[in-house]
Amino acid sequence: MNKFVPVILIFLLAIFVSIMVGPAQLTSEIIQLRLSRVILGIFAGGILAFCGGVLQGLFGNPLVEPYTLGSASGAALGGSIGILLFGTISPLFAFFGSLGIGFFVFTVARIEGGLLRDRLILAGVVMSFLCSSLVMIIMVMGGRELYEILYLLMGYLGIIINAENRLFIILMIVLSVVLMLFLYRYHRELDIISQGLETAAGLGIDIQKFSVIIFLITSLLIGLTVSLVGAIGFVGLVIPHISKLLFGPKHLYNLPASFILGATFLLLADTVSRIITVYELPVGVVTSLIGVPFFIYLYRK
Amino acid sequence: MFKKLRWLRKIRISCAIFVIYTIFSNCSCDKPSVKPGFKIVSISPAMTEILFAVGAGNDIVGVTTFCNYPEEAKGIYKIGDFSNPSIERIVGLKPDLVIVNLPEQMRIKKQLEKLGITIFVSSPKSLNDIYKEIADIGRIVKKERVADSLIHYMKMNIEPSEHKRKKSVYIELSPRPLVTIGAHSFLNEMLEMAGGKNIFSDLNKDYPVVSQEEVIKRNPEIIILLHPGNITDRLAWKKIAAIKKDKVYTNLNQDHILRPGPRLVEGFKELQRIIRE
Repeated sequence: MNKFVPVILIFLLAIFVSIMVGPAQLTSEIIQLRLSRVILGIFAGGILAFCGGVLQGLFGNPLVEPYTLGSASGAALGGSIGILLFGTISPLFAFFGSLGIGFFVFTVARIEGGLLRDRLILAGVVMSFLCSSLVMIIMVMGGRELYEILYLLMGYLGIIINAENRLFIILMIVLSVVLMLFLYRYHRELDIISQGLETAAGLGIDIQKFSVIIFLITSLLIGLTVSLVGAIGFVGLVIPHISKLLFGPKHLYNLPASFILGATFLLLADTVSRIITVYELPVGVVTSLIGVPFFIYLYRK
Repeated sequence: MFKKLRWLRKIRISCAIFVIYTIFSNCSCDKPSVKPGFKIVSISPAMTEILFAVGAGNDIVGVTTFCNYPEEAKGIYKIGDFSNPSIERIVGLKPDLVIVNLPEQMRIKKQLEKLGITIFVSSPKSLNDIYKEIADIGRIVKKERVADSLIHYMKMNIEPSEHKRKKSVYIELSPRPLVTIGAHSFLNEMLEMAGGKNIFSDLNKDYPVVSQEEVIKRNPEIIILLHPGNITDRLAWKKIAAIKKDKVYTNLNQDHILRPGPRLVEGFKELQRIIRE
């Protein structure tokens, strides 16, 4: 439990660094700007890692994450369609893209009276491929929208906040906190399921129904995140592993830890993406660039 | 005696040469094109405008869906859009010349080269590049004189204006991410000539992506938006000089400013008007 203290300290340090470090002098405007960026970073990094942790526990598969289940790709596809139709990103499109693909994957995997868990992952991966090709078509058809789609695919925290999307962002954050708390309530069931399906069934858990609920809620959460900051890769896959390395297999501990570590990691990656060039880099580029070596180091230890 | 004759003959010869030269150069100017049926495909909206302006519009057999000016260009066969022209449609037209834009159309250029089709590359980074390309294409379609007078017209109208102090300008091409113009864009040059100073002229790129922080830090006095949108309600933007003084311009014709063709003259006048205000 006392491992949480250093993790939270690092998290606070990451927030402090994100607000203090940057190209411009600190004025109230700049602080406001960076603070909004920090909030988006915590929200996105936390949700991605948290959902990754939940899904990995549920499917007992270390490769499962928002991308492999199709939700992130579906959101990216929806977002791109929105960009093509309206010239700018419309969060609702990303949101429905994620839900739509999630629902489709879900129908593919459904059999009479239940859900095939292996088939769910396979269908997710297959749908991800489909979404990527559709996004490619949109990128090919689009002219100047190309940049915007590119930043949607790679993730970008420096979005402009104006009167139009301010309320939407607040609602999104409130909704996702509620959804995450809802998922967190099932940490015991997740512990049991990741031990083995027979044990779980023996203890009276309706695995099929449980999988469906968890799957739909994570799809919803991923849709919310991608619609705001784009499809940031790597965080959802790797942070839960790091969290498990540090806090063990109990979801009671490793899920909140995933959230905090994911947020910390994304904040640091975003700070790097802001200061290494005058140009703005998509944060997804940085997450993998600094995340992969760190992950390999940690795993070799 | 002899000396006198030689002197006379010299005059006579030079007179003859002058007359012949004038007749021939006039002739070539009145001819419709290089040879009857010279076919051009233009994948560049700016070049389409230039070809029409120099009087070679009739030689164009294929254009992009982006080629919306002049009115006649809209009726020409479409070979695809600016970023994705169809190679089959181009080849099907059996063109004598294809005009491509770099760097956007690198792929199509390589394919056309493989097929042995003659290519004219347009990739202007400065006003001088634009003038040079007009002269080059004028020579190819044998409309040197019209091309020269077009260049002259553009040079007369786009020239540095006297200003005591240059006003700082931020031009936004897209809001997400923020795309602006850097040093390697003819628009940067035009802005300077119109009496402005691009706040991102230190970036050695044509269209760099920048951060909100940088824009706020560089505090432009004038903001020009080249996309539909509003910026006055953006979080943390309110203290930028341009927004405080209500110097945000949105209703400019993009094609007058971003398209390196004859209508830059109009774009330049719009920029001058904005900066003088």
